[in-house]
Amino acid sequence: MTRFEYDDSDVVVVVGSGAGGGTLANELCQRGFKTVVLEAGPHLTGPDYENDEWKAFAQMAWTDPRTASGSWEIARDFPNLPAWIVKAVGGTSTHWAGACPRFKPHELAARSVYGPLEGTTLLDWPITLSELAPYYDRAELKMGVTHRHGRPPLPANNNYKVFANGAEKVGYRDYATGPYATNAEPFDGRPASIQDGFNFQGDKHGSKWSTLVAELPKAEATGNLDLRPDSHVAQILHDADGRASGVLYVDRNGTMRRQRAAVVCVAGNSIETARLLLLSSSARFPDGLANSSGQVGRNYMRHTTATVWGQFDKPVRMYRGETMAGVIADESRLDTDRGFVGGYYMETISLGPAFFAKFVAPGSWGTSLAEIVDGYLNTAGMWIVGEDMPQETNRITLSKDTVDANGLPVADVHFDDHPNDVAMRRHGRQQGTAVYESVGATRTIQTLPYPSTHNLGTARMSARPRDGVVDRFGRAHDVPNLFVSDGSVFTTGAAANPTLTIVALAIRQADYIATEFRSTAR
Amino acid sequence: MGTLLSEHERTTLVDLLRVAFPHDRFPVGPYQRTALAVVDAAAGNPRLHGLLLQGLADLDTQREVGFSNLDVETAQLVLRGIADTPFFTAVLDVAIVALYDDHEVWEILGYEGPSYDKGGYIDRGFNDLDWLPDPRIESWIDSTVDSTVDSNEEAPA
Repeated sequence: MTRFEYDDSDVVVVVGSGAGGGTLANELCQRGFKTVVLEAGPHLTGPDYENDEWKAFAQMAWTDPRTASGSWEIARDFPNLPAWIVKAVGGTSTHWAGACPRFKPHELAARSVYGPLEGTTLLDWPITLSELAPYYDRAELKMGVTHRHGRPPLPANNNYKVFANGAEKVGYRDYATGPYATNAEPFDGRPASIQDGFNFQGDKHGSKWSTLVAELPKAEATGNLDLRPDSHVAQILHDADGRASGVLYVDRNGTMRRQRAAVVCVAGNSIETARLLLLSSSARFPDGLANSSGQVGRNYMRHTTATVWGQFDKPVRMYRGETMAGVIADESRLDTDRGFVGGYYMETISLGPAFFAKFVAPGSWGTSLAEIVDGYLNTAGMWIVGEDMPQETNRITLSKDTVDANGLPVADVHFDDHPNDVAMRRHGRQQGTAVYESVGATRTIQTLPYPSTHNLGTARMSARPRDGVVDRFGRAHDVPNLFVSDGSVFTTGAAANPTLTIVALAIRQADYIATEFRSTAR
Repeated sequence: MGTLLSEHERTTLVDLLRVAFPHDRFPVGPYQRTALAVVDAAAGNPRLHGLLLQGLADLDTQREVGFSNLDVETAQLVLRGIADTPFFTAVLDVAIVALYDDHEVWEILGYEGPSYDKGGYIDRGFNDLDWLPDPRIESWIDSTVDSTVDSNEEAPA
């Protein structure tokens, strides 16, 4: 295990070890950079993971306090759990399912294509799909994505059989068991899936790509990685010239540490990244670091989501097998005739009885809930995930009255649906219901969004510094050696599950850092 | 862990749970264990403890006879009447997690629980659904669209 000195000001500090931070760290280590990864959570590995939803949640989830406000149902039903993300080495890449759609060309030009939609802060990305395409290739190759680059598809599980047959019946064509970043056959030293059904709970088998099993071990093998779990960063520090000089963090023993750095990269997932930038205010940066635009924390997006369940008179056993190895892409098309801009995907999903009962109809009880749960065995499930609209007031701020165990103000997550989000969700539920009814569902159930798993946009990329927080490479407009390396940089959300794009952007950012900083960091 | 709840109040709690989560197929065991989970949660939580003591006592005063002696329809009506009280929502909050996490309940519902130690479902029926045809698993190729980056066609490596 490599250790760098706290006062070694040549290192690159990466805050967070998830899809963005973990990938970036590996890419930098491969290029010879001394890299310190500070991860707030513990170093869990396969044997630690639980094949049990609540135990796994207690073990993996970020359950430090947060608050929620706004008109979204989450503020009512889960006021202290606005997001469902991971606090552990590997970050939320240990919880993600594996769905790997790419962005479509128009989704990187949302403002131009969708027009000036009232109430939104739509903006075109400062990069195009053709610039991103080679990095998508590298990400897919690295992750072993099924259906891509000759990698075989996963087989159909029970939930997919219902889903795909329904898709065909309603006239959809663009369905498959992927692209999906879990091995159908051994790849990259990791085994094929055994279809155990506990993908969200860390994946004990290591068949799913995560930074825990794929990126960080490779980074470690270079001798350039100093991975420090249980290390909660409290502030990014800067020097008299306004350059990031290092970070202050609290280690596992509660001791304060200052790690000096040549470059600081923040990848704490969109809520914590914004919180850390806001916490890092100073005389020079009174509104938070990299926030001269006032955009830090704004334009928070969470994807427009919903779940549709179909219950049948025969068994489905949706819990067996790869949870999200099924996607219908027909509704991801550009087609404003549906009454909304943007598109959405339909993807298989499954929950065990404990989570199913808790989330299927929050707050409900009595006969209505019992009847739904009684149908568990015969239930198929799909998740709707689509592009939501960036809004200035959907925003991460620092709580004025709630602090965490370290006395740091927690993040408040404020969210109101845009009418476009509402229209898309309605359409998605309708279509999902039609899919299941076409194959004989006797009951369908429409479930509200869960606490957010796709958190995006709070430090967005923009061509002009006044419109966003970082440039086209994720470099802060205001601070030349500060980068943001997670989904916070998304200018708009697109419909695609974000991980593949986060990984592609992290690879691209590593290339850029290697060009700009080689002389000082090596 | 200590509780100030009487035997009678604990029985009332079990009966409340049976009315709130009415499953014909569930025996009393899971409800008893769920009641115990609520009582345990209250042991270290004065707020919940107080809500339970007062709430369960109040429940018995809603009709001429105690809650446990009501017929099912009346008991449901009584619960509907208190559905928005802090007492009832606090009980539900703990109970919904405990009841449907009970392994006897899992078995009745047809859920098999942990699978990794049994080798997952790769050889144990992950694809045994036989009342629908086997669907296509490969990507659909849209022959009407010509795009190298926005289709299901293989992207150039």
